[in-house]
Amino acid sequence: MKTRIDRRSLLGAALAIAAATGLSAGLASPAVAADGYPEKPVTLVVPFPPGGSTDLLARQIGEAISGPLGQPVVVENRGGAGGTVGANYVATSDPDGHTLLMGVTGSNAISAALRDDLPYDPVTDFDPVSIVIASPLVLVVNSESKFNSVADVIAYAKENPETFTHGTPGVGTSMHMTGELFGLETGTKLLHVPYKGSAQALQDLLGGQLDAMFGDILVTSEHIKTGRLRALGVTSTQRHYMLPDVPTIEEAGIDGYAAFSWQGIFAPAGTPPEVLGTLYAEIAKALESDKLQAFFKEKGFLIESMPPAESKEFIANEVKKWKGVVKAAGIGPK
Amino acid sequence: MSDFYAHIALGVAKALSVEGLFFCFVGVTVGTIVGVLPGIGPLAAISLALPMTYYLDPTAALIMLAGIFYGAQYGGSTASILLNLPGTATAAITCLDGYPLAKQGKAPLALFVTAINSFVGSSFAIVLVMGFAPIIAELALEFSSAEYFSVMLLGLIAASTMTVGSPFKGLAMVVFGIALGLVGTDVNTGMFRFNFGILELADGFSLVALAMGLFGVAEIIANIGGEQGKPMAVGRIGFREMWPKRNEWKRIWAPTLRGSVIGSFVGALPGTGPGIASLMAYASEKRLSKTPEEFGKGALEGISAPEAANNASVQAAFIPTLSLGIPGDAVVAVLLGAMILHGITPGPNLINDQPEMFWGLIISFWIGNLMLLVLNIPLIGLWVRLLSIPYHLLYPAILVFICVGVYSSDNNVFDIFVVLGFGLVGYLMRIFDYPAMPVLLGFILGPLMEEHFRRALLLGRGDITTFIDRPISLAFLVVSAAFLAAAFLPGLRKRFAGN
Repeated sequence: MKTRIDRRSLLGAALAIAAATGLSAGLASPAVAADGYPEKPVTLVVPFPPGGSTDLLARQIGEAISGPLGQPVVVENRGGAGGTVGANYVATSDPDGHTLLMGVTGSNAISAALRDDLPYDPVTDFDPVSIVIASPLVLVVNSESKFNSVADVIAYAKENPETFTHGTPGVGTSMHMTGELFGLETGTKLLHVPYKGSAQALQDLLGGQLDAMFGDILVTSEHIKTGRLRALGVTSTQRHYMLPDVPTIEEAGIDGYAAFSWQGIFAPAGTPPEVLGTLYAEIAKALESDKLQAFFKEKGFLIESMPPAESKEFIANEVKKWKGVVKAAGIGPK
Repeated sequence: MSDFYAHIALGVAKALSVEGLFFCFVGVTVGTIVGVLPGIGPLAAISLALPMTYYLDPTAALIMLAGIFYGAQYGGSTASILLNLPGTATAAITCLDGYPLAKQGKAPLALFVTAINSFVGSSFAIVLVMGFAPIIAELALEFSSAEYFSVMLLGLIAASTMTVGSPFKGLAMVVFGIALGLVGTDVNTGMFRFNFGILELADGFSLVALAMGLFGVAEIIANIGGEQGKPMAVGRIGFREMWPKRNEWKRIWAPTLRGSVIGSFVGALPGTGPGIASLMAYASEKRLSKTPEEFGKGALEGISAPEAANNASVQAAFIPTLSLGIPGDAVVAVLLGAMILHGITPGPNLINDQPEMFWGLIISFWIGNLMLLVLNIPLIGLWVRLLSIPYHLLYPAILVFICVGVYSSDNNVFDIFVVLGFGLVGYLMRIFDYPAMPVLLGFILGPLMEEHFRRALLLGRGDITTFIDRPISLAFLVVSAAFLAAAFLPGLRKRFAGN
């Protein structure tokens, strides 16, 4: 079964806060094969240490496209600073399609909104090849908590501003921004509790120290199944196949609410359009394969292949969206 | 109950299969080598090995990766004892007493003792994992930021008298370590601080680079052309030289057990790790010892407790990992990634859903630790003989290993400059007789204390009494206060008596 999310909803979410750019959505990309590309092994930089979801994804896709490209795709982990070290490395590499980035919401959108000291610009320094997957999050509370619905949370947070705690893997992560967006759209202010990584936040949520978390669906689903955590709502516009009984936050009463973290493949700005086209065609084909479909379904990802032009517009909208959230929520550079 | 035994049987079958034994052996052998070689630590090694396990059976993959992890703890002390260069960052503390022992010609004894300590520490923690993992994991959930802060405060106070020499220099170096730890990203605001615009410093200095620089590179620079430039005399290395004498057994058994308990406790708490475990074990031994003045001059207690503790900690890190899906430290987090990769979602159901994997892994711990014991004792002779290699050949090779090791953790050239820079700093500190260990202490504990202190206040909605309202936190604060009192009271009493 395919698990494709509604393209319009993803773009719609990006546009929810930022003003519309006036550009029409880019349509099909020119899939003209580039002559002689690739002429040597392609490096796919993962801006995180091995073992994380971005790493898994990069290795699966890299393996799937190596055959058709006729050159090995080598995954290289360059972790650091929430993905920005690896992203900066690719941004300053030769734009010939032989060095690519597996970028994420943090490295390629939120960090630009959050930091004024970032050495690269996610919009102008990259040519996106394709957004690859999107992952919604799920709002979970401890099962012994008094909150039984999204409405409970909103009512409580309205009465008690900056009291309802939500744990995240750090400032500027998509879990953090999802929480800030929740606050903005409901006219409440949650109390953000940043951790170094989501594992310790989960530990405190299970231990009853935290009120809630916008958690990863795969990881939290195990605790939801055993009844340790209660899921109140998913952040996608449609219910998630792993948690069919959990309403969307939009269903629960916040009109138009949608937040995803996403991952995509990026080339340095100035990469020839034919190279982008070749890569996109192979990636799109790989994403349709049964093997990757099954893999993604097992991990709770939603597949989202998006042609280069459309991806570029998507990134511009994401940056604008998160800049709006950062500003409205009063975080980031003062 | 019959299920329980059936599950164990499944695990035994898995671990004792040809495949299980083979990958266990590969893992612990690679682990030993990685541990012995300065610079390349278990995190870098597992990160490099992970992609190779993509095509393995998940249990076999985990058995091998876990073997690298705990195998490295065995090997880590070897270079500390023989060369005063820590093999892994967590084995730095073993330099303090291990190297003096080697200089006294007791290297075979020291290496034998650490192999035994490591085995006892591991065994103790594996028993806990087997019998009590879910219970201990539930207890660990009682620990939140307030408790973490209080435990670390206790650790810092207990460890403050760790080094010999001027207490003021020691204190100054703790503060220097804390200052170095401040570099990086402020957890609460997400802003970069003290990174001087260098993106590579946004996560702070790497612990491996700091430890390898201050201890490893500095030792090499200090030995250039010096009296120590000549290789150490290697005496006879037989069983008689290794086997502890009666009075030596007496000195090591209690520290080994205490180290195992401390290591298991620290290891079971997510977000800590073997480095903190061995620091705390060393500090508490020195506190409890009737002859603290021997520490730093070759006390067997000073290698027994930390070596038992770091092994226990590594095994105990599997408690929260396997029973809750919360990784005990950064290395286990990579192992969790390996599970997810193979389609296994770590969580509270793992023990029931994947009995073959859970018990296969646990049984492989026993097999792996036995292999390590059998592997390490005959290797002692070989390692000690390495000392007869002239230093002008040995040291350049070690420098290469250190550079490769720090580079491979993030594929970042910047870290090589960091390790060399800290090598120079460490060398200057030696010239002026400033101890390096407190720097490491401040660097590890300082940022964690800051993080947990601020988070505890957030979780307590700004109320500082959260630290004394929470009983476990209060208990640790009381013990900390008692430690402080014990340190200052004798001095005060003397002063009053003098009046």
